Amino acid sequence: MEMPGIVKLMYRNVVVNVDPGSLVILIGLPAMYLVFFGFGFGAMIPGGGAKAYLTFLTPGIMSFQSVMAGTVGGSMLWADRRWGMLAQVLVGPFSRLQYLLGIMFTSLLFGLAGAFVMLVGAFAVIGSLQVTMWGALTAFGVIAVGSIFFGSLMLLISGLVKSNNAYNSIQILVIFVVNFASTVFYSFSNTLPLPIQVLFQINPLTYIANAARGGFAGSLPVVSSWQIPLLVVETVAVLVMATRVYVQSEISFV
Amino acid sequence: MPEQPVIEVEHLRHTYDGKYFALNDVSLGVRKGEVFGVLGKNGAGKTTLIKALTTLIRPTSGNLRVLGLDPLHDGKEIRRRIGVVQQGESFDFTTVEGNFNIYGVLWGVPSKLRRQRKEELIKAFGLGDVRKQRAFDLSGGQKRRVQVARELMHDMDVLFLDEPTTGLDVIMRRELLDSVRERARNGLTVVFTTHNLEEADYVCDRVAVVDEGKILAMDTVENLKRLYGGKKTIEVTLAGGDVSAFFDRLRTQLDGSEVQVEGNSAVILTEDPKGALQMIMELSQATGVQMDWLNIRKNTLEDVFIRSVTKAEGE
Repeated sequence: MEMPGIVKLMYRNVVVNVDPGSLVILIGLPAMYLVFFGFGFGAMIPGGGAKAYLTFLTPGIMSFQSVMAGTVGGSMLWADRRWGMLAQVLVGPFSRLQYLLGIMFTSLLFGLAGAFVMLVGAFAVIGSLQVTMWGALTAFGVIAVGSIFFGSLMLLISGLVKSNNAYNSIQILVIFVVNFASTVFYSFSNTLPLPIQVLFQINPLTYIANAARGGFAGSLPVVSSWQIPLLVVETVAVLVMATRVYVQSEISFV
Repeated sequence: MPEQPVIEVEHLRHTYDGKYFALNDVSLGVRKGEVFGVLGKNGAGKTTLIKALTTLIRPTSGNLRVLGLDPLHDGKEIRRRIGVVQQGESFDFTTVEGNFNIYGVLWGVPSKLRRQRKEELIKAFGLGDVRKQRAFDLSGGQKRRVQVARELMHDMDVLFLDEPTTGLDVIMRRELLDSVRERARNGLTVVFTTHNLEEADYVCDRVAVVDEGKILAMDTVENLKRLYGGKKTIEVTLAGGDVSAFFDRLRTQLDGSEVQVEGNSAVILTEDPKGALQMIMELSQATGVQMDWLNIRKNTLEDVFIRSVTKAEGE
């Protein structure tokens, strides 16, 4: 039986992108955050704070995988454009939508796999981690949605910018701002300067990290009651925008 | 009832910027098993035509059918049945073998057949030594070979080759062209763009000469040569004797032909090369003037191309 088109495209995306460079970006960077920040910041907390902080940080770093997976997705599209494979794939037996979904689902796969690796890594570092099945499902579910959000966002940026250098610069900026203006590394505080508070509040990674952390803790925070639906709405909106930009480009039309 | 063309194009126009038409009222038909050449200089519109035929761009206006299907509605079905070697490079960032494997998977070639075809193509295209190298690290000619060979991993009804021989050495170019001909004999329809007139002459059954988005001429290579070439060229050099008397008599007898004399040589442009040759031989016998050199040169596709393009520019 022949594989569905999207699965074939996902196979290609995984084979082409599982190289040492991509893995360092996808897994290495968040793992370093987990270890260095975990022990570094944790050491500042008196009374064996490292373990407590690592436990706090783990769902945040798992959430961060959705951003990393998104950047890999955007890079896939950009690399395909740059190396001629976008047009080559699009004269193959695939629709343009299948191509987009192929990247999107690969981002999703990378996001979930990366989050799982972080979970295992955190368990190895901390020695124990308590999470219920419901909590894990909640965390992975919200990371899945986040991977599609950031995958779409990066595809949108990738479709709009005209050079690889511009794409890389924007990608680094997005990673930095989204990562550090979120609740991945620390809790939201009303004592933060107002602009940073706003950044925290509009950052989808905050919604993902809050829900994942809530899942690990056994109950979702109150803010997740509006943050998760908003995340879903934003994800759909960005996905639609990315698709429109892509469809309106001159590469292909069906 | 005549067989329906595999590709039908009627009054196709395409503009990228709304002002200049990269394709301007192009109409053509390509028959099954035919090698159809699209001949033109750089920027003539060849690649735009290929892009329209392979569903990569939506034409501004006109009708288009590929394999009896409408690209606007049946793009995916068309793409399932065509192969395209693009003009530019296109590789996955992996080894030569990896590129073959991925392509085979994308096209749904069963694994056993995929391995078999990969080995056959790597051997046929002389890629054995570089099979483990990354495609991007290869030389220009090697990359081109990978690109063409990779496309042959899957079955297809129509193969579009957009300047496929760029960067290939003479031997590999000839082998590729022979392979194209062989596949066409087995029923594959091939659309072949080039600005190399020799290879179009060698491989194509029919050619369309394209310039500034328009088809200037379209027919079999031989017909075009006849139509646009008109006269054939005879070159004759005499060994000695009364050369001027010989050429004077020849000029009188070859009424309607153009005879240009320089020293003891003459170049004769004639529509009746057989008759002209016979006259030259008879005259040589009658006057006792020996010939040192006698040559008939066929008109080349280059003659056709230059005449049709310059004629269009003149208009």
